[in-house]
This record gives sequence, structure tokens and C-alpha cells, in this order.
Amino acid sequence: MAEPQPSTVQEGATDPHAPTATTDDRIAAAALSTLDAQDDNGTGKKEVDGKALDKAMKNLNVKNAKAEEKKNVKVEPADVNLLVKELDLSKQKATDLLKTYDGSAVRAMTAFVTGKA
Amino acid sequence: MPQPLPSKEQTLFRSVVKYYEGKQYKKGLKAADQILKKHPTHGDTQAMKALILNSQGHGEEAFTLCKAALKNDMKSHICWHVYGLLWRSVKNYEEAIKAYKFALRIEPGSLNILRDLALLQCQIRDYDGYIESRRKMMQERPQLRQNWTALAVAFHLAGNLTEAENILKTYEETLKQTPPKGDIEHSEAVLYKNTIIAESGDTERALKHLDEIIKSNLDRTSALELRAKYLLDLGRNEEAEQAYRNLLERNSEYRAYFDGLERALGLSRDNKADVEKLAELYQSYAKENSRNDATRRVPLDFLSGDAFKAAADSYLRWKLNKGVPSTFANIKSLYADAEKKAIIEELVLGYESEKKANGSAKEETNGDKSDRFEQSVLYFLAQHYNYVLSRDLKKANEYIDRLIKLDPKSVDYHQTKARIQKHTGDIQKAAETINHARELDERDRYINTKCAKYQLRANENEKALATMSKFTRNEAVGGPLGDLHDMQCMWYLIEDGEAYARQQKYGLALKRFTAIADIFDVWHEDQFDFHSFSLRKGQIRAYIDMIRWEDHLRNHPFFTRAAINAVKIYLKLADDPKLANPDQLDLSKLDPTERKKAEKKAKKERERKEKEEADRKAAAAAKATAKADDEDKKKEDTDPNGEKLLQTKEPLEAAQRFLKPMLEHSTQIVQAQNVGFEVYLRSQRYLLALKCLQAARELDLENPMAHEQSVRLRQALSKVSELPAEVSQVVKDTFTTPAADADLTAYNNEFIKKHSESARHLQAAYTARYALDNSTKSQNETDLIKTLDLSTITFEQAEQGLALLSEWKSEEKVQDEYRSKAASRWSEANVFIK
Repeated sequence: MAEPQPSTVQEGATDPHAPTATTDDRIAAAALSTLDAQDDNGTGKKEVDGKALDKAMKNLNVKNAKAEEKKNVKVEPADVNLLVKELDLSKQKATDLLKTYDGSAVRAMTAFVTGKA
Repeated sequence: MPQPLPSKEQTLFRSVVKYYEGKQYKKGLKAADQILKKHPTHGDTQAMKALILNSQGHGEEAFTLCKAALKNDMKSHICWHVYGLLWRSVKNYEEAIKAYKFALRIEPGSLNILRDLALLQCQIRDYDGYIESRRKMMQERPQLRQNWTALAVAFHLAGNLTEAENILKTYEETLKQTPPKGDIEHSEAVLYKNTIIAESGDTERALKHLDEIIKSNLDRTSALELRAKYLLDLGRNEEAEQAYRNLLERNSEYRAYFDGLERALGLSRDNKADVEKLAELYQSYAKENSRNDATRRVPLDFLSGDAFKAAADSYLRWKLNKGVPSTFANIKSLYADAEKKAIIEELVLGYESEKKANGSAKEETNGDKSDRFEQSVLYFLAQHYNYVLSRDLKKANEYIDRLIKLDPKSVDYHQTKARIQKHTGDIQKAAETINHARELDERDRYINTKCAKYQLRANENEKALATMSKFTRNEAVGGPLGDLHDMQCMWYLIEDGEAYARQQKYGLALKRFTAIADIFDVWHEDQFDFHSFSLRKGQIRAYIDMIRWEDHLRNHPFFTRAAINAVKIYLKLADDPKLANPDQLDLSKLDPTERKKAEKKAKKERERKEKEEADRKAAAAAKATAKADDEDKKKEDTDPNGEKLLQTKEPLEAAQRFLKPMLEHSTQIVQAQNVGFEVYLRSQRYLLALKCLQAARELDLENPMAHEQSVRLRQALSKVSELPAEVSQVVKDTFTTPAADADLTAYNNEFIKKHSESARHLQAAYTARYALDNSTKSQNETDLIKTLDLSTITFEQAEQGLALLSEWKSEEKVQDEYRSKAASRWSEANVFIK
């Protein structure tokens, strides 16, 4: 077929043979994927500068204190229940949806039905 | 409070943990029991015992024991950790996360718990939690590069690109010297950082960064491709041209490089002057390598008129002289253009008469097979007339018969012959022909597969399985079918399921479609190990690709196809619960004495089957113990015919497993919305039904199903007395076609008038008319039979019509009339023969 390749295809990546080809391969694959459980106790590499690391970490932590502001909208529990029932959503999702539409059940549901939410 | 143990037991407890880690389960159990003899309520020991039991496959026992342990010692992190591990082993990730969090609250610094928690959070895509866990892990052990990369990945996945880049940069800055060139982990991490910069939209900076690292980077292809792309995006066309030319030197069969080069040169395929330049460009590349296909094939896409004819002529002669069997498949995408289709047909027909006139092959290159050109010309023509855009099955048949006469041993020719027969509707004969093709080469799995598929199309499930069994590992549990399940052979499971559905064996059909959904679950779980493994290997870009692929995994066509079929069966079950017990169905028609006889017979049959089943199980059990192979140990299938699936009390609820992922991910598939509507209408969730309807219309404004469904929704809404006020308001605002006060019959009649030439639309409109008023049944039946006269109707559509008749429960006489009329139009098609 000479149809153009989908753009997502990455050329040049060789595929290895399927890891499930033989029993041995399967055991090896399973072993590989459990390896890290033991082995990251290993000590760090020598070229890492301990002091620099400590400093870097301190700098990072300063930025952590970022409080996210959340919309504080009052949502009626009855509306949440309505959305849960009619739209088959989880409570959390129904609440979030109502919050984005300022607690208006009609607007929230309209947006959902028309595929905008 | 944690319960202290005397020192002797403490040593014993440590040995339990060690035995568990070393997978010496029997010894571990023994030691645990020793402790429990003296301290029967020691929570930690109970929990460890539960963990060992779980590893041995006693899941339920393990859960009870662990719960008891938790009751005895709520404050032990071991108990909570084990509880989390148990939940994780049954793939209930939410519960597992809760348990891990309890454990962490008691023992905040434990790396083991932290890691297990992080993996789960990533698995369920709780990125905020994942960032937190990764941050803690990094702080516990900052000297490991992985931990930094992992934190960056967490930020990246959560969409915080700046922070992700910052983390990677911070770590790089702490390095005393640049790692050696051979350090793959470094090379990958740097390139990963580059893609993050590019994703943040700052191509300029990404290019600058790339130029710094490109020399030493080990992934040449990716680095060069990225560079070419950046240059192109930035409009630095001359450099981009050079970059793409370099890439083409590495691989000149990759179309994306040619596309890039075209864009870098600023040449457009729509512009006549440019087309000439493009042709020259491709020619210059073609000269460099006489065996390159792309440089010769691509120009056919944009050339037209005489230039196209000349290029197509030389391309076709080249391929046909070599006898390349895929020539037609390689060319057929051009057929969308009617002019090109005509030119190609003329050319190849010319070759045929040329052959006849000359008598012998002039253009022959190597003489091992002198009739190669002639045969490939005929083969091309056979495929040409079989192709949907240039179909003339009679001609196709003539060509293929001539070919088979020339070379009766060719697998390809017989396969094409079977395909032609399939298109005439003679599925039975097609299956026989392809079986013959298979016998010509019994060691080729490809033709074997095709043969099984055709047999399934002809509803010969057992034959197909026998065919497949020639290539499966038949000693696997469950025989050939078991192996096909193990190896996730989805095409087979789907075709098998569809064949059962056609034969109305809905239990087996559901079973197969459920197997597909199970396989997708497995694919989803398969990523679990890679949250840690990919970091260890340092292949982060591939890992990100995988995560993004998993996120929309179920929009795969395999899933959609199985899901649509499964939902349709569940809809049938919802409409007619009697389907769940097919045995009883026929009996209602018989008179009492005969019914008794039949019931007796059915009972006997059932008993016989049960006995057989029991024997088989006993034999299997004996075999299993004889083998005692831990690896192949598998649970016995308790429902081999899918009867339990079929007897579900809530088919509409069961359908959700298929429907939900489909509506979420496969938003471009109209049929998905169509079946979604049917489910929600039946479960009286009108808003969701409306959502499906609107989505279907958005995809295809004149979708026939959407028309029929809009009529039925309006009808249903008019009958509902009380809806919540908000819901009726939403319906009023959103549902406007047909208008709320419209005369539905008139609306439907208008639709019939508008689409009087399309069988699909008419079928839908008649269904709507029937739904509005069932006294129109006979009128609908007559009209439906008339659709068979339409010039555009295909036999698949005619088959749909037949299905409609049985849905309306039309009398045999009417169905027979429909069948015989259809059979006279499609004389070869099996489906219309009773």
C-alpha cells in the first residue's frame, strides 16, 4: 500500500521480537519489570555534587507554596443529585460541572448535552 | 497501637518477611503460624500471612484474614500496606490508594509505600497526587537521577511544562561535569527536555537547545527529525531544506521527509508551475537510486493529464514487468480521482492487447518466467474490476479465470477469486475457494488466517477453528480457542462473535465480545510495570508516548467494532428477555403433546451435555494434576457458552461497559452514537439520549438513524408525564428538530420524499412510520419491498431490509416475497436463499 503513513508513525524504531515468544523470554520480561523493586536502594552516582543538590532542592521548595484558587460557588445538593441521575455522572464530576456554570443546573446540563462540557 | 512481640517471635516475624520476599511461601506460612499459635491476634503477622496466601492464589481467604488483622491493629502500617497490596492485586486501584495513604500517615518516610502509592496514582492519572508522591520520593533520595526525571514527568503529564523543564534543568546544573557521550540515560533525558521546550511552544529556544546537544546525542534520527521540523516551523526554509535532504539520505522511502522537503521549498501541489518543479525534484532523487519506490510513486499523486499518463505508464510497466503482486494495491488510492482511474484502466488494457499483438514478451528483463508481464497485467485487471470504485465483477471473474488457467497453483489468484465471489454475495463458494488456496500452501499462516476468516463469514465456526488450529499451540488450556485468547488474537474473536451473532447464538457472541473488552483491560493494565521500568531504562519519550496512547486506548477500531455489536445484542435482550433462554422460544408455537415431547427431548439433551461437560472437566482436572505445572495453571471457564452473560437481569447496565468508553473516546463514529441513543432511550435517560442524537447529527446531518431516532424521542417525550423542570427546560432549548409541536407523520413523510432514492434513509423512515403508528405495517412492508427496485441499493442494504422485516415480526409470506425479489436481483448472494 502506498497510502501516506500516518504522521504519528515513528520510523527507524526497530521492533524487537515479541517478549512473549518463548517461555524463557516471558520469564525474563517479568524479571526485568520487577527488578527495580530491589535495585534503587543503590547509592547515587559519583559525579553528582551533594552540596549542589541540597541547594537545588531548597530552591525548588520555595516555589511549592502555591495555593490554587478555586471558584467558590455554592452548589445545591439537589442539583447535584439531579445531574447524577440524569447524566449518569459521578458526584464529583457533577459538582465540578455545576461549579463551572455557577450552579445553574439548566446551563450545566445544556452544555453537557450539546457536547460543550 | 502496634503490638510488641517478645524477641524470639520478633526474629521469627522478620524471617516471615524475608521468606515472603524470597517467595518461599510454604516456609513463610509455617513461621507465621508459629507466631500466631502464641499470639493469635497479632495484626502484623496476620497481615503477612494474608499476603502470602494471596500470592498462592487464595484471594478471598487473604482478604478476610487481612481485615481481621486490621481490626486487631488499626495503627499498624504493615496491615494497611498489605491491605493496599491486596486491593492492588485485584486491580481495585482506588481502594488500594486509600489503604496506602493510611499506611503512609502512620509511617510517613517509608520509601516502599511511597513508591507503591506513586505508581498507582500514575496508573489512575491522579497527577496532583503523583506530583506530591514523586516530590517526596525525590526529597528522600535526591542523588538518584530517576527521581528527578520522575518528578519532571509528573509535572509534564499534569500539564505544567515550565516546572517540568525547571526540574530537569536543576538536576543538570548539579552535575560536576557533562556525562560521557555513551551515557544513554543522559542523552535521552536531554532530548526529553528538548521536546518539553518544544511543547511549550517556544520553538526558537527548542532549536537553540537542540543545536547545542545534537552533536553528542545518540538518537540521531529523532534529533535530526526534530531539527528539520523546528526549522520548518520557524520558516527558515533553506536550512530546513538541507535538513530534510539529509534525512532523505538516511531513508528515502519515508514520505514524511518528502512532504517536509516540499514545504521547505515552498512548492504547492495545487499550483501548476510548482508541479513541474516537484516532478523534477522527485526525478532527481529517482536517478540516484533505481530501486527506490517512493520517488516514482509519489509524483502520481499530484501529476495530472499527459504528464500523469507518462509517469503512470513507466511506473506500471516497471512494476508489472517485475511481477510485483502489490502493484494494484499500491495504485488504488489514486482511483478516488475519476480521471486517473480512466487513464490507468486505458493503459493497462493497452498492455493486454499489446501482449496479444506481439505474441511474445519483449520487455522481459530476466528470463526465468517469460509470461510474468502478461500475468501481472491480467492480475492487475482482475483486481481493478474487483475494486469498489471500478467494480465489474463479471469482467473480474473472466480475468481471474484466465489467470487460474495459466497458473493453477497460484495462491494469490485463488485468493482474489474468493474475494470476487465474496463481492457477488456467494460467501459459501468464496470460503471453498479460499480453502483451496490455503491447500496450495499449507505452511503459510497468512492464507490460513484468511481462510478461517472466510469460513467465519460463511458462519462455519467449527471449520474455522479447525483451520486456525493448524497454527495454534493446541496443548494450551482450552485448546486452539484458548490459545487464540491467550495470544489476544482479536480479529478472530471479533469475526467469531459476529458469526455467532448472525446465527442468533447470542450467548457465544457476547462471550467473544466480552473477551475483546477483557483484552483491552489487560492492555490498560500492562502499563503498570512501566511507570517504574521506563524510568529505570531512562526511555522517557517512549514512556510519554505510551501514556498518551493508553489514555485513548479504547478508541481502537477493534474495541469499537466489538462494542457496537455487543451493545446491539444487549438491546435485543432488553427488548425481548426471552432470548436469554433460546430453548423455550420454539416451543410456544407447538401444540401441547408435541411440546411435551420436545421438552423431554431438550431435557435429555441437556442432561447428556451436562454429563459430557462433567467428564471433560474431570479429565482436564486429572491432566492438570498430572502436569502440576504452576505456570499454566488457569481458572476453569465456568461459562463456556456465555449463558450467564445472556441471562443478565439488567442488559442495559451490562451494556455500559462497552458503551461508556466508546462514547468517551470514539466520538467520531456515528454508529456509536446511534446505539448509545437506543440504550439511553430504553433506560429513560432522555438527556443522554438527546446528547447522542445531537452528536450523531453533528457528525452526519442526514444520518438516517438520527432521523428515525429524533421522531421516536419526540414521541417518547410526549408520553412522559413528569420530567424535572430543569430537564424539560434543557430539552426545550436543545431539541429543536423536529419542532416540539410538529406533526411527526408529516415530518417523516417529508423525509421520505427528500430521500426517495436512498434505501438506507427510506428504511429508517419506514421504521419511524411504524413506530408512530403500527397500523401502517402492511404499507411499510410493501414500501420496503419496493426499495429493492432502487438502482443504488447494495445487497448489504437489502440485507438490512430483511432484518427490519424480522424486527417488525412480519409474516413468513412477506419475508419470502422480499427474499425472492432480492434473490432475483442478486442471484449469487446466499443471504437471500432460505
